Amino acid sequence: MVRLKNVAVEYPALRIAYEDALFLQNAVTVVTGRNGSGKTTLLKAIGGLIAHEGEIEKSGFATIHFQDPVLFDRSVYKNIVYPLEIRGRDARGYEKRILEYARLMGLKEKLHENAKNLSAGQKMKTSILRSVIFEPEILLLDEPTTYLDIESIEELKTLVCKLKEKMTIILVCHDQAFNEAVADEVYHVGG
Amino acid sequence: MISEGLRTAFELLVSFDWEIYQIILLSLVISLSATLAAGVPGVLFGILVSIGRFKGKRLVKVLLFTSMGVPPVVMGLIVLLLAIGPLRPLDLVFTRTAMFFAQFLLVLPIIAGSIVISSEKTQVRVLETATTLGARRKHKVGLLVRETKPFIFMSLILAFSRAIAEVGAVMLVGGNIKGETRVMTTFIAMNTSMGQFGTSIAMGIILLFVAFLIHLALSRFRRDFYG
Repeated sequence: MVRLKNVAVEYPALRIAYEDALFLQNAVTVVTGRNGSGKTTLLKAIGGLIAHEGEIEKSGFATIHFQDPVLFDRSVYKNIVYPLEIRGRDARGYEKRILEYARLMGLKEKLHENAKNLSAGQKMKTSILRSVIFEPEILLLDEPTTYLDIESIEELKTLVCKLKEKMTIILVCHDQAFNEAVADEVYHVGG
Repeated sequence: MISEGLRTAFELLVSFDWEIYQIILLSLVISLSATLAAGVPGVLFGILVSIGRFKGKRLVKVLLFTSMGVPPVVMGLIVLLLAIGPLRPLDLVFTRTAMFFAQFLLVLPIIAGSIVISSEKTQVRVLETATTLGARRKHKVGLLVRETKPFIFMSLILAFSRAIAEVGAVMLVGGNIKGETRVMTTFIAMNTSMGQFGTSIAMGIILLFVAFLIHLALSRFRRDFYG
């Protein structure tokens, strides 16, 4: 769950104010709005990456998946298990889930390749898996369909629908068909 | 004159003249040790400037980039003034230590500055990603150093190239004393001033050859960098 109360973000020449809202658990909320209206800024504020006014109440850890993700210079598998490593969790206990998600996203054959050698779409999928493998309470997805082909978007839809049983998902996406397929709620930014 | 220089270079190398080998060795030891010693603070400072959000960051970067272009002779002068001034009790004038110190100060901003120039965006994004995945400070430091490795390597190469090729600083603080503080570049400068161009060209060729051998050796370890 994420609750916004009087939230605003101040840039040097711009102030973005957000309407109060409650983003529910086990639901996918699609954030809509024009370019530059502050959709990504909202995700960054919820993710704790930028300072904001007002209150953002969260039910747990929020992770952001960025539009142009950074993969680390290591194998796909090691990228995916990085959040487990830093939490001191044994990746072996997550093998089943890693394989399940990797198969779902068509990455099973790529697990031991260096992530830097992947295509843009494969990088995107690796990054998404890295963001969800530790099952954060809140998942913020910024343009997750960028670089993905039609089949991969279908795979992502299945993954998002599966993940929403366990978390609060807030996403910004310009793919209307994808939004319609996964959205439970819509939150509009920019009046 | 070039062919004469090549012939003399070959003769100098095969003559096994201890003085020549001592000059080459001293050049390498001073430049390599100054580069490696400046590596740790330079890399850390470069990373801190890249990822830090603080007041006056722009000014720090302007000063850092300016100091990347400090003429070696000016750096030599600063070290010399320190050596004959506040550091006089250490008796540093015309010593190898002073040469090391001058090169250390010369390459320090080159290492830090090139880290900032080449990888600031990468570092910020790596840090942002690590934060969103829940990394703590101790994880972020290790991750940043690992992800910045190619840039660190590049900055050290740049610094070493600058150190081995400079003459002004080591000439001023070392004094080009035979058998003590004479290095390849001061040897070239001295012979040129005496009109012995062939010998100068020969040592210049040896200097380039030594640099080439070092890069050749490094290229075996860092195929990603050299391709």
